[in-house]
Order: sequence, then structure tokens, then C-alpha cells
Amino acid sequence: MFGDLVQIKKQLISVISLCKERGLVHSEDAQDMDALGLAKSYFDLKEYDRAAYFLRGCSSQKAYFLYMYSRYLSGEKKKDDETVDSLGPLEKGQVRNEALRELRVELSKKHSAGELDGFTLYLYGVVLRKLDLLKEAVDVFVEATHALPLHWGAWLELCNLITNIDMLKSLSLPDCWIRDFFIAHMYTELQMIKEALQKYQSLIESGFSKSTYIVSQIAVAYHNIRDIDQALALFNELREQDPFRIENMDTFSNLLYVRSMKPELSYLAHNLVGIDKYRVETCCVIGNYYSLRSQHEKAALYFQRALKLNPRCLGAWTLMGHEYMEMKNTSAAIQAYRHAIEVNKRDYRAWYGLGQTYEILKMPFYCLYYYRKAHQLRPNDSRMLVALGESYEKLSQHVEAKKCYWRAYTVGDVERMALLKLAKLHEQLNESDDAAQCYIIYIQDIFSCGEQLEHAEVSTALRYLGQYYFKNKLYEEASLCAQRCCDYNDAREEGKALLRQISQVRDHMEASNTTPVRRVSPLDLSSFSP
Amino acid sequence: MASVHESLYFNPMMTNGVVHANVFGIKDWVTPYKISVLALLYEMTTSKPIALQERRRLNKLILPLQQGPDLTLDQFLKTVEECCPQTAYAVKLRLHEMADGELKDMEYFFATLPTPFSAIDSEAYKTSVVGLFMRHMLLAYNKLSFSQVYKLYKALQQYYHSHYSQPGDVQVGLPALAADDSDMDLTSTEDNVGERMEKEELDTAPLHESELSRGPLSQKQAEYFLARQAYLLKNDENKALKPSALQDELNNMLKFNPDFAEAHYLSYLNSMRVQDIFISTHSLLHYFDRLILSGSEGKSNGDEGYGRSLRYAALNLAALHCRFGHYQQADLALQEAIRIAQESNDHVCLQHCLSWLYTLEQMKGSDSSVLTEDSVKMAAHFCLPYLVSLGIQSLVQQGAVQGKTAHELMDALKDTDILHWKHSLSELIDISLAQTTSIWRMYGKSTMAQQQAQLLLNMNSLEQVNFGVQQNNTEAFAVALCHLAELHAEQGLYGAVSEVLKHLKEQFPPHTQHAKLWMLCDLKIQFDRAMNDGKYHLAEPHVTAIAALNKTEGLYRKAQVLKALNRTTEAYSILQRLQLYCEKTKYTEMIIRVMLVTAELHWESSGFATALPLLLQALALARQHHLQALASETILHLAFTQLMLGVPEQALGVLHEAMEPILAHGAVMDKGRALLLAARCQMAMAGTRSNGQKHAALGLAVQSLGEAAAYFSMLDCKERLRDVHYLQARLHHTLGQTPQRNKCAMLFRLLDQELQAPGAAVAILSFIQIL
Repeated sequence: MFGDLVQIKKQLISVISLCKERGLVHSEDAQDMDALGLAKSYFDLKEYDRAAYFLRGCSSQKAYFLYMYSRYLSGEKKKDDETVDSLGPLEKGQVRNEALRELRVELSKKHSAGELDGFTLYLYGVVLRKLDLLKEAVDVFVEATHALPLHWGAWLELCNLITNIDMLKSLSLPDCWIRDFFIAHMYTELQMIKEALQKYQSLIESGFSKSTYIVSQIAVAYHNIRDIDQALALFNELREQDPFRIENMDTFSNLLYVRSMKPELSYLAHNLVGIDKYRVETCCVIGNYYSLRSQHEKAALYFQRALKLNPRCLGAWTLMGHEYMEMKNTSAAIQAYRHAIEVNKRDYRAWYGLGQTYEILKMPFYCLYYYRKAHQLRPNDSRMLVALGESYEKLSQHVEAKKCYWRAYTVGDVERMALLKLAKLHEQLNESDDAAQCYIIYIQDIFSCGEQLEHAEVSTALRYLGQYYFKNKLYEEASLCAQRCCDYNDAREEGKALLRQISQVRDHMEASNTTPVRRVSPLDLSSFSP
Repeated sequence: MASVHESLYFNPMMTNGVVHANVFGIKDWVTPYKISVLALLYEMTTSKPIALQERRRLNKLILPLQQGPDLTLDQFLKTVEECCPQTAYAVKLRLHEMADGELKDMEYFFATLPTPFSAIDSEAYKTSVVGLFMRHMLLAYNKLSFSQVYKLYKALQQYYHSHYSQPGDVQVGLPALAADDSDMDLTSTEDNVGERMEKEELDTAPLHESELSRGPLSQKQAEYFLARQAYLLKNDENKALKPSALQDELNNMLKFNPDFAEAHYLSYLNSMRVQDIFISTHSLLHYFDRLILSGSEGKSNGDEGYGRSLRYAALNLAALHCRFGHYQQADLALQEAIRIAQESNDHVCLQHCLSWLYTLEQMKGSDSSVLTEDSVKMAAHFCLPYLVSLGIQSLVQQGAVQGKTAHELMDALKDTDILHWKHSLSELIDISLAQTTSIWRMYGKSTMAQQQAQLLLNMNSLEQVNFGVQQNNTEAFAVALCHLAELHAEQGLYGAVSEVLKHLKEQFPPHTQHAKLWMLCDLKIQFDRAMNDGKYHLAEPHVTAIAALNKTEGLYRKAQVLKALNRTTEAYSILQRLQLYCEKTKYTEMIIRVMLVTAELHWESSGFATALPLLLQALALARQHHLQALASETILHLAFTQLMLGVPEQALGVLHEAMEPILAHGAVMDKGRALLLAARCQMAMAGTRSNGQKHAALGLAVQSLGEAAAYFSMLDCKERLRDVHYLQARLHHTLGQTPQRNKCAMLFRLLDQELQAPGAAVAILSFIQIL
């Protein structure tokens, strides 16, 4: 299918010119030539009514599209202007694009007559969506993709309307190479990262390896599954290929933030300001930069600026919520998170943030709901599970808490806290066997991952295990643990004390000579070095 | 990429795609409707010669017009016309001048309005209601920008012309005024205003819907809408919008103004109606998220307001889980609320928490009287009359179950009543009356119960603003009506019962919260009827339905059916289980009933002697708890047992003790049974006497039987009626009264054929032995 890359290129070039002629800036017949030229000029000057006026009698498809599109844009412009001059709350919300209804009537007539081309179908779809006729809109967009598969705008609109995988599967989409791009994009949107990565990989293999779009999408996908290293590497590569790119750079800055890479983030921020300082992405990057430097007021300011530039920018709301949290302004944080949720109900970070806010306010039961929501959206994210577990623990619902921690471990614990917490919970409940088991897995886990984690509490685990083995009379293992304990400052004294105890008991035991009962498999530490 | 179409121009007032209206901090805006009101006021101040009565009506109209939501011109003119046609015409003329003229006409109108600052002696003086309104309007008008003035004028033209475009739409009433006026009418001595209002109330509901679907609401309208719907949800659900329609409205409202937090709360209430835990939780939390914002923004209470809403958020969550029966969740949420309230020393909130705590304990079925008492004391200390009396009421309820004496309970209720009237807590007055009904009923005083129920139903509502609600559909009313239905059923007045139930069905449709009450009541009545008629196959399906609504009751009824079907072993095991359970939950009434049925089971196996201690125990229990009806029934059982054990003298003595209360308060069924039993005792005793005395005694028995037959025929209780006729025939035979004997024998034969029950003969044999 991808064999003919040359063909694809040709198609692309042609569609770009088609798009340009129709004024579709971001996506991409000889009769009526004069009128069209005049109207296009007016259109470019943003005098939409004027453009529409000169196009009203034209019959060619291109002119018709421009005619309708001017009318649509004129309506939108007026709507935006009107809102400033509204007559108070009675009118609030009544301000709507008056042209939409007329457009819909005309377009639907033409649509049923089958006179619409790909672009007009796309416009019809947009009108329907604006009128909240979502079901019809989906149908029309699908039709538009069939009529003109290479118009990415229609695909993107479709993407916004698809809410779940079943809906995606039920659509009959045109069989074209661009479809794979769409499917991959959809998978990313629906958080089906693995499938998305596969799709993108196959696209790269079939010849799109130089596409910065694909690289950036893969990087975003890695970011979503929190594979930070991969994502960082890809973003760096992307910046080399396309140094003046601003798109997706907010995601990049998030990654740098998570890794606390101050100099890189600073460099990125300065670089982006140099390119264009009034871009949402730039503002987000700067916000992240200030946040990393703990200048939270400034960070919040920049996120606010990002929101002014685009009020529907989801990430900025959430990030602003985080900043307010840092500033201990919980009510403002709640507001910001709520806004984020309003923009997109499926934003798990906002739900998680709300949960955290209430947790800070010491309302563990209350925050359960929010964590649950977040967990629903990201069932395989350990952070929500750990947060849920902690809340349950605070409510002394131990069974649920244990389940959460264990599940968090099994789905791949990012912060490696779940097992430790589980072990401590078992310890509290005097379930020493389970606790020891958890500590063993925890230690193995920590050592096997190789890197040094700041909050790692290996010493706690070792200390407990030492005592545990000692109690169960497994002196070999106990002394091994005690020796390891001595490697850590906070556990050194206890380790030494335990060693002394062990040697005492051993001396005593040699006299009596009893065999210990083995209940738990001994910890095999020989292969790991702390 | 695709965001080209979203927002071409950055708009400073837009956040989130929605315009924030209150940017200028003005709540009042000039609208075409307001201009009409201004025109009316202008006419009223300038043209003096209006008849006194008309002027009075107009004056009464001013406030509702000013404060109510916007009306269409039709509605507005119609309202004014009803008060004073002359003025209405003048207003219309003035509007016509403006709408059909030019922009300058409107400007001129505003210029000529009497300025509240100059007109000292007129009604429009600056401190008067009218003056204040005019000042608001003038201020708002002067603040309008150039294009806004033009838009206002356009809107006015449209407003005026829409009046003519659809002249057929005259029959619509006026929504706000109907309500507002009717409570102003209290002072009115005028003609037929009341009737007029009533007629218009009928139109209210459809009008509201049509009005709402028209478009977004102003702040005031929205507030009014929410307040009204919330009130209706609480007091009379049927008059509120349908759940789905209401939800649509709320969604619509929230779409245009997502910050309107109250709408979320209403959505919470609304989804509670349809038992939708998902949306209700979501809305509740959303509401409090929003409230926390507004609380913190308010300067007056600052941090305090913020923390406060947190506490109440947790408390409300507890209430929600409680409503859905998630007691563990409710408990956790409540603990959280209590902890936060304690941390911030909020005693009032703590008090609310405490009252929820005992409610929760009660719902879980554990004893919470200590908690309740504490709650009452503390609430009294903090001057929270509502909570005090709620606590007392719940104490009374517990006390009644646990067998406190009647005078204590009644005293407590009287005290709460004083509290209610002092603070006009009408809701609690209703509850108190319903509770009294229940208590009287429990004690077996049917007349008193009936009287209290009627009192509640006939009482006028005390609510200050009632939106034409005559009778609320709160739980109290449901309880009272159910009692009434059952009381009528006891008297065999099944026509009345079905009337009451029909009313209940209308008032509390099946999906509503309190519908279970009447469903259970209905099922119980049907079950009892079927059992009395001996149609056990009809009673059996009811058992399943009853069990679904009330497990204990269901088990009890199941045992009854099994007993009637002679499946003794099964019945016995169920009864044992039930008794254990009831003893655990201290459900005395049920314990006694179970004992009675168990005793009946013993009879079946002729274990009369074994039944005796059980019955005595039941009697003691009933007397201890002052349950007169049950005590009388126990005595009946006891007497029968004694009769069977061959001591009719004793039986008759015992029976006489119960006869009086049964005849005074008992159900028709019980009356019949008592008389039948008395007759049988008399017959048994007559057997031992000499001839002359025997005749007299038998005569007495015949008389008793006649009365019993009358009662049984009232209930159409054929099986017992047959027995009675049989006994009558035998007695007449003994007395040598042949024609009567033949008549009774014929009646017996007819009934016996009708019943065709092979088992019946066995029962009769036992009587023959006695005779």
C-alpha cells in the first residue's frame, strides 16, 4: 500500500494547492475566475461578507465552497464581536452564529442532491457540529473523508467526535494511506498507546521515517505511557531535525520538568521565546520553567497567559491547578482543575489533581471519588492506584488498600512505592509473612532496576527482614540482612545490634543444636549489589 | 490545526468559550420587558385619575412584576389589563410609539422618566421600591455602549412585534404571578381573584416548559426557576418538571453558565429522584467544588466560609450514601465531616453530623437512643430548634418501639409541638402529626389514629411561599394516608381504601421516594383480604412482592400462607427464624405476631397446652408495650385455647376482658371472631347446665352468632360465615326452631358448595364434639 511513495507525494502536493486555494490555512475550472479572484482577495483581507457577496451567483465547486466558507466565517466573526456587546445575562449564550442555520439548510439541500464535494462536505460537517448535531456530523465527516481522503482537517474533526474504540470500529473509512495516520492518532487519543506505537512504527518502516509529525506523535505516545527516556530521546532528535518547531514542545517541557533538567528546560524556554513568545506552547514551557524554579506565582501567570491565548487549552488548566496547589491555594486549584475537566472530561490528571487537593484538605473519603475517576480513565496507571490505596488506608479499609497496592505493583509501579506501602500495611496488621514477602520483592525490584531512587527505603526493608528472619530462626539470612543494613546510615546501629544478637543466639544454639523451621524462602541477595 | 474555526478573535471576556456576564458587576440589565414595566410605572405616576380599586390592584402588581422573571408582552399586557384596562392601553400605546418609531423615541422615553432625585412627593422617590427600580434601570441604561443601545432597541421592536405575530397564544397564564399573587391574596377582600389564580395555576406547568425551552435565562430567572423547582421537589414532586425534562433544563443552563453552582445541586436532587447514584454523586461533588470557589471569593467570611463548605460537602456526601443505603460509605463520609468540623470548632455542623449519626445508626438497626439524647441536649444548647425537635421525634419513635409509656411519649410530642409552632417548622408539624397517628395505631386506638390522620390531611400548609401546593407529598403525608387506608380496610370499607390508594398513587408515583410506603400498604391489604376469603393461591404472589419491600413482613406473611396451606414444618422453621431476628432487632409487634402464629400452629397439631405458655408470654409482652390491639388478639387466642382445653368458663371470663376494647377499636374481623368465640364458649357451657338454663344460654349464643355473622358478611369472609351458619343451624335445631334451622342450613349448604373445600369438614367435626 505504501509502495508508491512518489504517488503519495504527488497527491500531497496537489491537495496542498487545493487547500490553499480554499483558504484552509492549517490543513491543506476556469469559470467564475474573475469573481473568484476578487473574492479570494477579500477573503484574505478577512472581509468575509464582501467576499460572499461577490461569490453569490457562482456555480463552480470551488467558488461555492469559498462562498459558504466566507459566510460561515463571517458568522463566527460576528458572534465573537457580539459577545463583547451583549445585553446582559438574558442574552448570554444566546449569542450564536446566526449564519449556521441558513448554511445548514442550504448545505443539506445540496447534500441530499449529492452536489457537495469533499471540501463542502467538510464545511457541512463543521456546521453540523457547531449546531450540536453530532451524529449527523460524524456521518458527513466520514463522507467527506471518502470524497477527499487527503484533507486532514476532516479527519481531525472526526477524531474530536469519536469517543470510544467501538465507535471507531463501526465507521467505514476510506481505504487510503492517510487512514493509518488517522487510526494511529485515534489510538493515541483513546490512550491505547501500544497499538498507536505499533501503527506509527509500521508507518516509519514503510517510508515516512523523516516525517517530524510521526516522530513527535511517537514521542507524545511515549510521554503518555511515561517512558520518559524514550520520549526525551525522540524529542531531542525532533529538535535537531526541526529546530524551530513549537508544536508539542509543551509536552517536551513536561518531560524535562519531570526529570528536573533545569538547564535544558531553560534553554528550551529561551529558544522558544526567540521563535514566538505568544504561543500557547511557549507560555506552557515558560510556566514549567518557573515552576521548576519554584517561582509558582510567575508560573501561574504564564499558564494564565496560555489560557488567554487559547481558553480551551487543556494542559494549561491542569498545570495551573498544580501551581496553585504548590502555592497552597486549594480553592483556586480546585477551580482550575474543574475548568480542565469541563474542557475535557477524560483528563485524568485533573481528576487526580482534584483528589490530591482534597487529600491535602484531609478528606480521604471525599477524594476517593476523584481518584476513582482518574483510575477509571487510566486503569493501568500505578499512581492513581497508590493514591487510592493510601486513601483507603487512611480510612482503615485495609482490604481495599491492599488490593490497590498489589494491583499498582502488578501494573508496573512507576514510583516503586506500592510494594513498600503494602509491606508496611502488612506490618501494621501483624501479617509478618506477607510483609516479609513484600519486602523481599521490593528489595529485588529496587536492586534489579539498577538506578538509585531518592525515596528508596531499602534500609527499612532490610531491617524488617533481618528481624523477621531472626524471629523465624533463619539466622543465615538474618545475618546477611543485618550486614546489608550496615551499609545504610540510618540502619547501621540496628544492624550491628542484630548481628550481635544473632551471634549470641548462635553460640547458644550450637549448644542445644535444633533445626530451624523454614517458612519463607530466603532472600537471595548474592546476585545484587546495592 | 483545526482550531481555526474555534475562535478567530481573542475575546477578553470569554473564558472557556463562555461570556462572563457579570464583568461590570451589574446584576440588573435593561430588557424590553423591563422597559414595559417602566412604561407601566410611568403611566401610573403621570396619569392620576385611576379608580381607587384599580390603583390598588396595580400597586399590588408592581412588586411581582419587578422581581419576577421576564414575561412576554402578551402575558404582561394581559396581567395589567385584568387590573386596569385603561392603563394597559396607555402602556401599549407608549410601547407602540417606541417600537414603531425610531431610536430617538426610546431615548426620549428614558429622558422623560421622572428622575427619582427630583420627584420628591411622587411614588418614584429615590428610596421607594419604584424609585429604586427606576434608578437601577436608568443606571443600567446609561451604562450601555452605543451598539448595545441599538441592540436594545432592536430587541424592543422584536418584543413588541412578536406580540402581534402570534395572536393565538393568548390563553397562557402568568407563571410567577400566580404564585406570588396567591400569597398576597391572604389580605385581599376582593372579588374572585382566588378563582382566577386557580385557573391560571393549571396553566403554570406547561407554560414553564414552553417558556424555558425558548432560550437561556437571566440570572434572576434562573434563580427563580431553581428555587421553585427545588421547593417542588421537596414538597410536591408531581408538580415539578419531569426528571428528564428538568435535567435537560439544567444542562442547558449549565451550558451557558457553568459557574451557576446551584444548578448542580438541583441536578443532584433531581437524580436522587430517579435513584441515579452516578449523576447525583457527580453533581453533588461538582456543586461543592464550585461552592468552595464562591465561598473563598466572598470577602465577608473569608477562610471560614471556605472551610465551612468543605464540612458540609462531606456531610452531604454522607447523606447521599445514606439515601442509597450504602451505610459503610455513609459512615466513612460522616466520620470525615465530624473530624473536620471538630478541627474547626464548628458546633452547628457537628450537631448536624450528630443527628445524621444517630439516623445512620438507626438505619443500620442498632440502638442509638443515647446518641440521640446527647444530640437533643447539645442542639438545645446551641439553639437549633429544628435539630432538637427532630431528635425528640426520633427518640419518641424509639421509645414507642421499646415500650415507653404513652404519656411520656405524648408529653414529648407535645413539647416538640410547642417548639414547632414557636418557630413555625411546618415540616416537623406534619411529621409530628404523622407520628402521633402511628403511635395511636400501634396502641390499637383506631379512632384516635384516624382523627390525627385527618387532622394532618386537613391542615393548611404553613409554608410562607407555597406555589399553589395544597397538600405536600412528603413522607408524613404518605404515612398518614397509608394508615388511613389500613384503618378503612380494617373496617371493611374497601371502596374507601381503593379511593385512598388511588390518591396515593397519583400523589406518589411509583418511581418516587415514598412510593414504597403505599405499595407495601396496598399489598398488605390485598393479602389480608385474600387470606380472609380463603383464597390462598391469591395471597401467595403477594408474599413475594411484600418480601421485596420489607423482608421481615414478607417472611411473616410467608409463614401465614404456609400455615394456611398446611405446610406446618416449613412455616414453623420460618417462624423460628423470624422470632430470633425480631428479638435481635427488638421489633416487639412482630415478635408478638409471630408468637400468635406459632400458637396457631400448635393448635393445628392439637398442642393446645403447648400453645398456652407462648400466648401468656405474648400477652405479657403486649401489655408491657401497651399494644392494646395485639393484647386483645392474644386474649382471643388464649380464650380459644382454653375453650379447647375444656375450660369454657375460664375462656368466657378472659374473653369478656377483651370484648370491650375489641368492639370499641378493633377491626371488623376481630369483632366477628370475638363474638363467634363468645358464642362457642356459651354453647360449651350450656351443655353442662340444666334444661331451662340451657335454653336461655343457647339463646344468648344464637344472638352472638347473629352479630358475628353480620360482621363476617361485612367482610365477605365466607369460610367463617359458613361456620357460623352451621353453628346457628345446630343451635336452632336444639332449640326446636325448625324454620330458622332450615334457613341457616340452606345458607350453610350454599356457602359450602361455593367453597368446595374438602378440609373444612374436619374443622367442623371438632365443634360437633364440643356440642
